Amino acid sequence: MTQVAGPTGAAGAVIDASSTSQVQDAVRDAAARGEALRIVGAGSWLHAGRPVRADASLCVRSLAGVVEYVPGDLTITAWAGTTLAELDRVTAEHGQWLALDPFGARDGTLGATVATGSFGPLAASFGTPRDVVLGLQCVTGDGEIVNGGARVVKHVAGYDLVRLMTGAWGTLGVLTMLTLRLRARAPVDATYAVNVSAPLGAWIAAYRAASVSPLATELLHAATASALGLGTDMTALVRVSGNDEAVAAQEKALAELGAVRSVSGETWAALAGGDPPRPTVAMRLSHRPARIADVWVQATTIARDVPDAFLHATLDRGIARLVLPRVGDADLVTRLRLATECARVCEVLPAALWHQVAPSAASDPLSQRVRTAFDPEWRLNPGILGEA
Amino acid sequence: MTTAALEAQLGSIVGARYVRSRAAELLVYESDGLPGYRKRPSLAVFPGTRDEAVAVVQLLARERVPFVPRGAGTGLSGGALADGVVLIGLNRLTRIIDLDPASRLAVVEPGVVNASLSRAAHSHGLHYAPDPSSQAACTIGGNVAENAGGPHCLKYGVTLNHVVAVNAVLPDGTVTAFGSADGEREGYDLLGAFVGSEGCFGVALDITVRLTPNPRAVRTLLADFMSIDAAARATTAIIAAGIVPAALEMMDAGTIHAVESSIYAAGYPIDAAAVLLIELDGLAAGLDRDVERVVALCEEAGARGVRVAQSEVERVKLWQGRKKAFGAMGRIARHLFVQDAVVPRTQLPNVMASIATIAEQHGVRVCNVFHAGDGNLHPNIPYNGSDPAERERVHAAMREIMQACIAVGGTVTGEHGIGLDKLGYMPLIFSEDSLNRMCRLRDAFDPHRLANPGKVVPVRSCREWHGFVGREAPLGAGAAS
Repeated sequence: MTQVAGPTGAAGAVIDASSTSQVQDAVRDAAARGEALRIVGAGSWLHAGRPVRADASLCVRSLAGVVEYVPGDLTITAWAGTTLAELDRVTAEHGQWLALDPFGARDGTLGATVATGSFGPLAASFGTPRDVVLGLQCVTGDGEIVNGGARVVKHVAGYDLVRLMTGAWGTLGVLTMLTLRLRARAPVDATYAVNVSAPLGAWIAAYRAASVSPLATELLHAATASALGLGTDMTALVRVSGNDEAVAAQEKALAELGAVRSVSGETWAALAGGDPPRPTVAMRLSHRPARIADVWVQATTIARDVPDAFLHATLDRGIARLVLPRVGDADLVTRLRLATECARVCEVLPAALWHQVAPSAASDPLSQRVRTAFDPEWRLNPGILGEA
Repeated sequence: MTTAALEAQLGSIVGARYVRSRAAELLVYESDGLPGYRKRPSLAVFPGTRDEAVAVVQLLARERVPFVPRGAGTGLSGGALADGVVLIGLNRLTRIIDLDPASRLAVVEPGVVNASLSRAAHSHGLHYAPDPSSQAACTIGGNVAENAGGPHCLKYGVTLNHVVAVNAVLPDGTVTAFGSADGEREGYDLLGAFVGSEGCFGVALDITVRLTPNPRAVRTLLADFMSIDAAARATTAIIAAGIVPAALEMMDAGTIHAVESSIYAAGYPIDAAAVLLIELDGLAAGLDRDVERVVALCEEAGARGVRVAQSEVERVKLWQGRKKAFGAMGRIARHLFVQDAVVPRTQLPNVMASIATIAEQHGVRVCNVFHAGDGNLHPNIPYNGSDPAERERVHAAMREIMQACIAVGGTVTGEHGIGLDKLGYMPLIFSEDSLNRMCRLRDAFDPHRLANPGKVVPVRSCREWHGFVGREAPLGAGAAS
């Protein structure tokens, strides 16, 4: 274990851990010193401005690599610091893939993806990390190694620590190892850009009635489509897979919704990594899926006249995501007040605004008791959930 | 508070006729779907509305009286047994509160029967995907408590993947919302923790579930194998080909014989060592191409023949045999021990061979019928429970089967839960620290350990556990009364 100073966003030392026992030692040492820890993977979330009050950072980036992979089981077990890119590489050798495509570069870690519950367009058919993680190992805030789930695809033994840890932002335990469900690649995997005509509600109704069964469908604002080199109109990016007959039939069905053209599958990576650098705000607005057209209207209202705004929506989950660069704090607060009709989840905010516009979702008595059950001293990432 | 006083108070909430206390009335609640255990509740209470359910739990919380929530009692792990405590029957709460076809969501009370929700959604071209074999009787509330599965979970996912929100009354009487149907909710996934908590985290008052579009086309295949090994190889080959069948079920010779000599006879080949029941669904275009590929993969693995159902009648008949296989085993002996374990899919051939050896050594008959695509085994043993020697042989064989599954990296339940029956296996798959942490999680939801006491996690793992509330304990032990 080494302690070095580094640009992690947290004050104090950076503790690098490359094994579960080193994570355990770091947590126990912090407990002995009465210190709080910020947990860091690749460090890509640190610019989100989440208000963590920590004395030191615990970095699990070196806790990386595949622990067990039997392709026939369609599961993989890897250390938390393993990057998504590495998992892509390892599984592709066997015609398999991990159906998790969070926004951001693929050099983000598995641990951070699960801890933050991050997901992307594929959630429309494969769900979010809660639906993909099968088992995990973590170190609790009082330094115990705890396991949840299993290395098999169905498991209901005991209380579900996997769901609890997923999306808990590290506040219940430092994730060290994860087992995930994989998918086998279909013979054909194609992506199409479909022109979306106004009015949006009618187009969505036609889309929902169409003979298509996409892996992902992402609605792109005209400016976002343009930034991705897909023309200057509102566009739906649709990914379908199966045998060639099934894919060809779906391409035909999509053509009835608007002008359609085949585009590179790399477009998805461009979308995932396409956020403007260092945005002021990235957030998701959502409602029940039938209300997606209303959510879209709200999102476009909020983004109005912001140059280089990025705006897209996962139709089938009722979620719109917008990324705004260079917006002043006061202007931003005014704009966010426009999101009255939908649920709001912030990914990135100016540090000063977290408490004002993103009230803690974990301050109810039950959540506090759950947290205390896993991290009695609230030593792990204190403040990251917006709690006082 | 005495049992009589509690009965009177519960009666004032739900009406006296919905509180049962006489031994003869409680007899039917002594068992659930698992034979071999009998536990009698002190009282059984049946709230007829959500408000009554809340008031019942609040009264029990106030008086510190332990309770067990129960749906249809079809569970297979003894989880719905109430040992000298109050049983809360939720089967009067049967309203489908809302059906939103545009968002593909339904809101149901906990006592709604699984299959009846799919019937209600059918006219909208939708269904509720998780389909446990007991779906004609089991309730959505029970499904949530157990995180129930079913054959079609291979493609569509288990209960957890379909529950969007739950309003529940916690064991302390607080009413809480978990999850949300109206957009994303931040914070801990308490909904995910609640699903599968086996009634230990509270009582669901209403449940919002996702509905799934009915597939536009369905093909059902029956592949006939001369060895279990070959059937297992076919299973792995199909999954590896990037085809995700809606279901991929295996039945062995014992099960085939039981089904074919019952009223559920489905036309399975009685001289086969194993059959695979494979369903492919989705869009019509390209589906027959996948069927051809699956047929070829089965033949390459050694199938004697593959039959594709040519009509809806034939398709339903093939499924009927599978879904009623447990019932068909009832003809063999009076009792049936239905087991549930999961192994990595590639270990299926090894484990099936181990099970056969164990069965022979103990002189028991194992009928295997299971979700091969998920590696989710159901080795079942029909037996005569009134013969103590046979009963002991069956239990000894089951223990060895479970140990064989654990030894290859498997787990002890994929969809039936731990309940009472599998408590002893928990230390074999979880460390003491992990079990202790589960106890602490339970205490966050239920500090006084009133809800379904003594289930899921072995008592000794809870370091601060103050004793098991059993039949001998006075009702409401620890309460101020």
